[in-house]
Amino acid sequence: MIQVNDQPVEWKPGMTVADVLKQMPDVRLCSVVRLNGKLISSPRFDDTRIPDNAVIHLLPLVAGG
Amino acid sequence: MGPVQLNEIKTVSYERAEVKKGYTDRSLHIDLTGNDIRIDPVDAAVKDKFVGGKGYDLWFMWQAVKGIKKWNDPENALCISAGPLGGTPGYPGGGKSIVTTISPLTGAPIDSNVGGYFGPYKKFSGFDVITLTGKADQDVVILIDGIESQIKIFSASDLPDNAYELADALTRYFDGEKPVNVSVVTAGPGAENTYFGCLNFSWYDSGRKRVRYKQAGRGGTGTVLADKKIKAVVARYGAVSMKSNQPADLDALKTVTKTHAKEIHELDGKQNRMSLVGTTHLVPIMNDHDCLPTHNFKFGSHPEAAVIGEDVYEHIFDKGFDGCWRGCAVACSHGVKDFSPFTGPFKGTRVFVDGPEYETVAGCGSNLGIFDAHTILEINFYCDAYGLDTISVGTSIGFVMECFENGLITTEHTGGLELNFGNRYGTLELIHQMARGEGFGAIVGKGIRQMKQIFADTFHADPNFMQDIGMESKGLEFSEYITKESLAQQGGYGLALKGPQHDEAWLIFLDMVHNFMPTFENKAEALHWFPMFRTWFSLCGLCKLPWNDIVPEDNKDSKEPAKVMKHVQWYADFFSAITGKKTTPDDLITMSEAVYNFQRIFNLKMGYGTREHDTLPYRAMGPVTVEEYESRQERYDKQLTDTYGMDISGMDTSARVAALRKEREAQYEQLKDAVYDRRGWTRNGIPTRETVQRLGIDFPEVLEVLAANGVQ
Repeated sequence: MIQVNDQPVEWKPGMTVADVLKQMPDVRLCSVVRLNGKLISSPRFDDTRIPDNAVIHLLPLVAGG
Repeated sequence: MGPVQLNEIKTVSYERAEVKKGYTDRSLHIDLTGNDIRIDPVDAAVKDKFVGGKGYDLWFMWQAVKGIKKWNDPENALCISAGPLGGTPGYPGGGKSIVTTISPLTGAPIDSNVGGYFGPYKKFSGFDVITLTGKADQDVVILIDGIESQIKIFSASDLPDNAYELADALTRYFDGEKPVNVSVVTAGPGAENTYFGCLNFSWYDSGRKRVRYKQAGRGGTGTVLADKKIKAVVARYGAVSMKSNQPADLDALKTVTKTHAKEIHELDGKQNRMSLVGTTHLVPIMNDHDCLPTHNFKFGSHPEAAVIGEDVYEHIFDKGFDGCWRGCAVACSHGVKDFSPFTGPFKGTRVFVDGPEYETVAGCGSNLGIFDAHTILEINFYCDAYGLDTISVGTSIGFVMECFENGLITTEHTGGLELNFGNRYGTLELIHQMARGEGFGAIVGKGIRQMKQIFADTFHADPNFMQDIGMESKGLEFSEYITKESLAQQGGYGLALKGPQHDEAWLIFLDMVHNFMPTFENKAEALHWFPMFRTWFSLCGLCKLPWNDIVPEDNKDSKEPAKVMKHVQWYADFFSAITGKKTTPDDLITMSEAVYNFQRIFNLKMGYGTREHDTLPYRAMGPVTVEEYESRQERYDKQLTDTYGMDISGMDTSARVAALRKEREAQYEQLKDAVYDRRGWTRNGIPTRETVQRLGIDFPEVLEVLAANGVQ
């Protein structure tokens, strides 16, 4: 099981960030997540595998400096 | 350092105006030429139309600079205002000062929004705005003492020349028992000897028992302070509470303050973690999205960028509360203690470095090919202590390095410095030279626009290539984002009133990543709403970070998530609670629109403010060189074939560069048309008479400026 925005989500072996986001409603403005505290940006969503028991937070729209 | 010795040369006692509903309705004018000190009421019509903050600054500057054409004419005014909401403890980002002056870099009004306690202390001492004009005949320190109700001008000699020691010395001199009562505005030797000097605004960090500072960085405000021979402006005031602004509705103020602060406390840790890492989280994000300036904005990413981002700085930053205003929940003003520089006058000593923020990391790190967190800290420290804007420093040296690597300048011109990308010692040596006004650093300190002229005229460098790679517009160096793939942000930079600074509009992700504004009209609408709303923060004395860098968890479900309308409503509530004027989100835009258009006309008054000045170097739009094109060839080839329908099979890379350039430059001109139309401007970029009448800024002198520029 993993936590996504404080909600439990079933974990599957090989699961990527992109796989998780496909399960979430309305993520059109999500370009960055924190995976166990580390920043993962959209170009790496497909390649980044999620370990079991991970904690993920979807970051808000990047707003610049 | 010996004891501070100041000699009083002028003292004026005054009756401190009470703050009511966020305003004192008083302005303070100090003319250094004759040490004239004048306190005037603020006209109700000015208050109604210009709101405060940047609006007040611009209005009083307009009055002061009637005939001047140069930044260093004595009539140039340096104005500082906090706005009606500024000085609200506990409201996130609620203590900003806004500085304006005629910029040495651009020749037009520049504005800079800065933390520290000066703005609120000045207001609570009795003044909504101060204007500094004239030039002193000796170095002076100005004191605005709200506790003693006195304004004093001192002659100053033998003071430390760097801001790091000077702010500390003056803080302890003016209130050794309660240093938290003092805020100091200083520049430094770099401000005297360059055109991009910054101002340091201090506050006393009671937890660490030391003076800290933030910078009004852009456009040479520190250079103007130094030119007036002002070593420092000091504000002294006592206890501040939520009642200090005498809000119209204290309960409503408490409610909205608590609501916004609570949300930030709850969500920042899950989102950008600015209370731990400041804005350094942006480094890896920009790098991953190909937006991190690298090697003079040539590229947008680098494999080593990870070593200068939040992962590193989080562990270097000193732990503790880092708000640049009292009780700010964002608390992003981090610093590093016991840092030991390896060059310059502080070599081998231990200093506290205030920073770095994203802009400094990107400008003075990746943009220079320096992927070393400690060198960036040292650059940050010396820029602040010398009073140099880290953005202009980083962008200017990046330009120099590319010129050097292309043989446009050589060691014969640089005084022997091998200024290749990645040269840490060379970069620091240039900065020390800038501060002393010596050697090649003295040339670099004039900024990119003047360097281009000097390199062409004196060193016979190719002016066309320098025009393409010199990252300045309107004379101001770019802040630190790659815009090649975001037409909207090209407009955000090129159409910004003061030059390419991102505080008017930051649209890269909405445009480039999310394709949220596919048409020219969509982009034009964004380039209307966002600059207007962002302007509002500087009218009121606020920081923009709490608006959209921490957002409600249900924001994505809202109708306009990019605008974070729940927060916009809170800001309207905040304004209503302080001023007593029932205010809606739309009202905030209208307030800004009047000031925004006035600033555009101010540009016109100074000889700028038309279409020809809203230009960009091509590197902001696309690849200048074959090397750049080929580094992202798949992307550019696809655009030529899919977007523009070209058969590129017979074209070499140079031909493809040229073909893409033609399309992108045409797009930018089309964008200008759309934005001018949306803003109610002529196709030459000038507000129409109908626009100024609608906004109520159709004063006779405004209409005169319009008429002189062909707008009847």
